[in-house]
Amino acid sequence: MHLKVNDESHEVHVDAERTLLSVLRHELELTGTKYGCGEGNCGACTVLIDGEATRSCITPVTSASGRDITTIEGLADGDKLHPVQEAFVEHTAFQCAYCTSGFIMSSAALLDRNPKPDEEQIKSALSGHICRCGAYVRILKAVKSAAGEGDAG
Amino acid sequence: MSGQDFQSEVALKVVGPPRWTPEPDPRVPPGDPATLLTINGDGAVSAFSGKVEYGQGIRNGFAMEIADELDIAVDSVRVVLGDTALVPQDRGTTGSASTRTVGIQLRRAAATARQTLIDLAATRLEVDSGALSTREGSVVFGGGSKSVRYADLLSGHTLTVAVPDEVTLKNVGDFRVMGKPSSRIDAVSRVTGSAKYAQDVVIPGMLYGKILRPPSYGATLRQIDTARAERIGGVVSIVQDGDFVGVVAEREDVAEYAIEAIRARWEESRDTASDWNLPALLKERAGESVALREEGSLQSGFASADRVLESTYYVPYISNAQMEPSASVARWDGDDLTVWCANRGPFAERDSLAEMFGIDPKRVRVIAAEIGGSFGTKSPSVSHEAARLAKAVDAPVRVSYDRAEEFGWSTVRPAATFEIKSGVDVDGKIVSWDYAAFHAGENAFRGQRGADTPYDVDNVRISVAASESPLQAGSYRSLGGATNHFARELHMDEIAISMGIDPLEFRLRNLSHERLRGCLTAAAEAFGWESREKRPGVGYGIAIGYDAGSFTAQIVEVAVENQEARVTRVTVGFDCGLVVNPDGARNQIEGSIVMGMGTALWEAVEFDGGRILNDGFARYRVPRITDTPEIEVVFTGGDDVPSSGAGEPGIVPIAAAIANAVRDATGTAIEELPIVPRL
Repeated sequence: MHLKVNDESHEVHVDAERTLLSVLRHELELTGTKYGCGEGNCGACTVLIDGEATRSCITPVTSASGRDITTIEGLADGDKLHPVQEAFVEHTAFQCAYCTSGFIMSSAALLDRNPKPDEEQIKSALSGHICRCGAYVRILKAVKSAAGEGDAG
Repeated sequence: MSGQDFQSEVALKVVGPPRWTPEPDPRVPPGDPATLLTINGDGAVSAFSGKVEYGQGIRNGFAMEIADELDIAVDSVRVVLGDTALVPQDRGTTGSASTRTVGIQLRRAAATARQTLIDLAATRLEVDSGALSTREGSVVFGGGSKSVRYADLLSGHTLTVAVPDEVTLKNVGDFRVMGKPSSRIDAVSRVTGSAKYAQDVVIPGMLYGKILRPPSYGATLRQIDTARAERIGGVVSIVQDGDFVGVVAEREDVAEYAIEAIRARWEESRDTASDWNLPALLKERAGESVALREEGSLQSGFASADRVLESTYYVPYISNAQMEPSASVARWDGDDLTVWCANRGPFAERDSLAEMFGIDPKRVRVIAAEIGGSFGTKSPSVSHEAARLAKAVDAPVRVSYDRAEEFGWSTVRPAATFEIKSGVDVDGKIVSWDYAAFHAGENAFRGQRGADTPYDVDNVRISVAASESPLQAGSYRSLGGATNHFARELHMDEIAISMGIDPLEFRLRNLSHERLRGCLTAAAEAFGWESREKRPGVGYGIAIGYDAGSFTAQIVEVAVENQEARVTRVTVGFDCGLVVNPDGARNQIEGSIVMGMGTALWEAVEFDGGRILNDGFARYRVPRITDTPEIEVVFTGGDDVPSSGAGEPGIVPIAAAIANAVRDATGTAIEELPIVPRL
């Protein structure tokens, strides 16, 4: 099976019923994408498929084949962090950071299709994610500031 | 990385007592001094602590303290945490104690290193050490015009210095780093996915283990058929030892598949406990009550009271539900065991593994990976399971829990029932306070935390009993702190409302504790308590709390509509003494508020007959970004007051403040959590 991940092509020989998350983490060793619940309820496993935020834990690997997959490892441009990553650093929008990859991927997808989201649109886009450390106040600030709001604090 | 890698290059080693103890402890056996801090010949600084990082930012806090004392850049400090082969023995990362115990020791070690460097420079330059100071990794002299780098001073030396009893630390006014907001030094690894959590650890030759779970607590295995599982390609072994059954496979998905293919017949215990009958059951099944404090005469207090009030409160079991399910990798090299895990107490983990396998603790090395949240738990069993499987197959094995296992087989915050009887005089002063708590779990210590009242009262009895727990009770942020505060602060409103006294005024009238008063008045002013606007469906609530040496007051605004309650605004007064990293402390307090909001509004572990019924996020509602209130934090502690905890105190009063606010909005008293299902 052919998988294009972070602009690199991979041939993987895996059972068709495996999830994209399992193949990313175990076959491609891309462990930045996390397992949180396995049911699509927490968002920790979020990757981009053709630019769309997708829960990789409930996505069969076959359905991702031949499409453009981006994981947290592929978001930065070399050493230059993506603006959402920069903003998460600047606002310390995490504590344990286990959920952070997922939040960043969904935020990046949001800003890609809507560069100037309002607060409600940001919350709505991230409502499927859980940060058990409760860093939501900061996550909101970070996404606002990545969207270029000067007064995000 | 092995110990030798950097020890060989070490030019200056600062050592301290073999173990951390806050006070001298005669039970602590003597041992070799522990290495606290090293500076290599090239100037690289490393610090060592048995504490672990699970999101609270302690690596950063330590780096800031060392950087300040040693006059070096924060990001040049390497902080080695939680590797039992490398770090001083410690008592686990609990009780919001890292900054107030280890932090101060590392500051002292850094100050010792700085003084050593100044002395080296004085000798070399043949000047009085009093004429020297330090700046940006160098000792400066000649009125600041000349300098010599630490690395140059240390070149050719191999020194070991013990931290003396008297160490001069920097004054608050001279801090360059501490007390100022700081980004975390580990931030980039966290936003690029490179930080390795226990779930991510892969070592050469590693196999994957999965455990066969009984259908309920206390079930006994009667019959098992593993034939189908054994035939699955990629299955290495089915390990059985009594009721312990596990699969080891070449891949995780194969191990999961094989577990599903095992047929087993269990005999389940017939425990009648469920979340329906637990409130009464906790009292029925309680052991002996321990009186934590007994003063004056309750009887004469009640006799002199203008009115006497009695209430019963209940809080259910809560799941820690940290985002990273428990995971552990175990590897045996002969009789030596190495474990990579996410445990908060690496040394306790080491000792329990050694005990389990009957080997010397020195033969066990526990290495803490990055930890994806804890709040008190991470299954205590996962490392044992990995080590048992690894031993059985003679290869390294990783066991990673799935979410249902984490909900079902990790620990939960103890449920508790409370009975409070109070007497109050005509002036609104509490004259008698009889407090009885019944906390689930054999560990009485947990339920005692936060049980005592900080209010002024002459006639008082505080008693706590440990009650038989149908579920595996464990530690949760602040232990009993949050649950005890819930009961006490609800009852405070009960009295205030019955007397027709404003809840803020009633608390102040009964509170002489200066630091708590400071939190309360600061929060009330920042919130605008006096000018709060009474509107339909909107309520305001207050609660105060103490925990881990710190104090807090919280004021909440809620909106209640259509059987839903939404927390819209929270103002926090917080006194933890000197704040090392204001941004880090604020982050912890905000997180405590959000987490505590979940316990107030929605969270409860549902169970029946030893089975947990809501073992997924679809059935266990936790706070999400759409629930997040506006949170304001006002620090009221003095810079000259030693730092105390910031990770836990924020959670202790919040559920009560929310419940008091909901009562204010609806007019109906709340006696049980969670609130929303009861609206």
